[in-house]
Amino acid sequence: MNTDSVTNAIPSNVPAHLVQDFDLWAALTAQGENAYAWAAKLHESMPPIFWVPSLGFLPGTWIPRRSKDLRRILQDPETFSSAGLTPYPMLLGESWRLAPLEVDPPVHAKYRALLNPLFTPKKVNALEEDIRQLATQLIDDIAQTGRCDFNEDFAKPFPTLIFLKLMGWPLADRPLFQHWTQTLIKSSDPQVVTDNAREITGWIRARIAECRANPGDDFTSYLLASQIDGRPLTDDEMLGINFLIFIGGLDTVTSTIGLFFRHLARNPEQQAQLRADPSLIPDAVEEMLRSYSIVNMRRTVTRDVQIGEATMKKGDIVLISTELANLDPEVFDQPEKVDFLRSAGHAPHMAFSYGVHRCVGSHLARRELRIALELWLTKVPPFRIATGTTPRFNAFGIFGMEELHLEWDVEETR
Amino acid sequence: MKIIIDNKACAGHARCNEVAPGLYELDDNGYISTAGFDVEVGQQALARRGARACPERVIHIVDEPANPPGNGLNKGQKQ
Ligand code: HEM
Ligand code: SF4
Repeated sequence: MNTDSVTNAIPSNVPAHLVQDFDLWAALTAQGENAYAWAAKLHESMPPIFWVPSLGFLPGTWIPRRSKDLRRILQDPETFSSAGLTPYPMLLGESWRLAPLEVDPPVHAKYRALLNPLFTPKKVNALEEDIRQLATQLIDDIAQTGRCDFNEDFAKPFPTLIFLKLMGWPLADRPLFQHWTQTLIKSSDPQVVTDNAREITGWIRARIAECRANPGDDFTSYLLASQIDGRPLTDDEMLGINFLIFIGGLDTVTSTIGLFFRHLARNPEQQAQLRADPSLIPDAVEEMLRSYSIVNMRRTVTRDVQIGEATMKKGDIVLISTELANLDPEVFDQPEKVDFLRSAGHAPHMAFSYGVHRCVGSHLARRELRIALELWLTKVPPFRIATGTTPRFNAFGIFGMEELHLEWDVEETR
Repeated sequence: MKIIIDNKACAGHARCNEVAPGLYELDDNGYISTAGFDVEVGQQALARRGARACPERVIHIVDEPANPPGNGLNKGQKQ
């Protein structure tokens, strides 16, 4: 082991038997379609909390695997801080932050209060028709073709259109946003990420200026009219919130839908189960959110703390792996098994995090996923992985399907 | 049977409301709007399911003889 390297040196508070020298994300990516079954096995082979010397381009980090420990960490933001954990403002040499994601309590609640009323289950009910209509258009365009590039034809445009609609931004800018999502979140090249972050912030800043001059009824105008502590938001705060909704609400849904549809394409009997009884779809959404969780967050330890065997020191980084929590055999029997009837969907999972940062878009995301399944299963005949193609899974950043092509039999007479 | 909710720790998952809509009401921000209520006899299973669905585990069940229906102490009442 090279103790000269700053990032890979094992800190003195980490005992040797807790060090596991593998890169979780690289290993999951290499496992491909087997990734989640492999992750479930880590519960048998790893200590409850272990330490990896590196993770992608990130430095060493603690990885707790048990749901119980992860809940405890997420519910204690004083000890486990979210501040400064995304690279974007730093890459640009700027000082705004993604609010409320990178803001700790008590200030967190002030930003969160601006967003909460916009994303309640009731508000999402009001969006149902729009979501249905956007999905219907996309599906009608491909239903008769018998084959599709699932990402390009559905998984990317669907949440992007809903996002633009929700924000009150021009739907015509969809290709631009799709391009930005891909390059910002999926690229491992810092230069590409920086260039794109600059373009996006440029677009958002221009939008803010426009709305300031000419307020409409869009999201940006809503923020401009909002207050924190009795004062209007600064341009940096406006930027941080807008940027966050952009990175939080697009790729997450794209990635999740991709994993759902790969599962259904690979498991025709479960596809048939949902076609036969569409009332199972909400439970299926919960079970697939559990089985195919895609987000890995991080927290910084703010004061020395002991969890089980792990002595965490101030400044240590902790990975919050939603997939490990959701594959914990202490909580879910046979966690690697996808079972739409599992406790009728009532066993809570951690796909949307726990605690104050609980995904504000969770109700919207669930609705998008439910509608996508409902409409696909009514409008498209039984689908499978397209012949001659191989689905490609990537566990870098936000986990998801890099490549997914589907095909189905089209009736001649229609 | 009584439901006690540590509503300060509610994170707004709204799963309680999804599973047992008539029992667990949400406020305009999508968070739980009550600190607890007495459960009518016929609703106990539903109330339990809603409590179990809470990812934050802030809904607690206190088992005690249920109040008879219609005594004014039923669902949605703040304690
Ligand atoms: C299946 C889709 C989605 C998944 C799996 C997901 C997952 C998550 C997770 C795990 C967090 C917590 C991060 C943390 O604890 O540090 C989070 C936060 C957040 N998500 Fe989502 N999300 C999804 C969709 C959405 C959508 C559609 C939106 C918005 C329209 C959205 C907006 C946000 C925002 C603003 C936050 C920050 C909340 C805070 O820090 O208080 N997400 N999401
Ligand atoms: S499920 Fe729990 S955290 Fe969610 S709204 Fe209900 S009480 Fe709050």
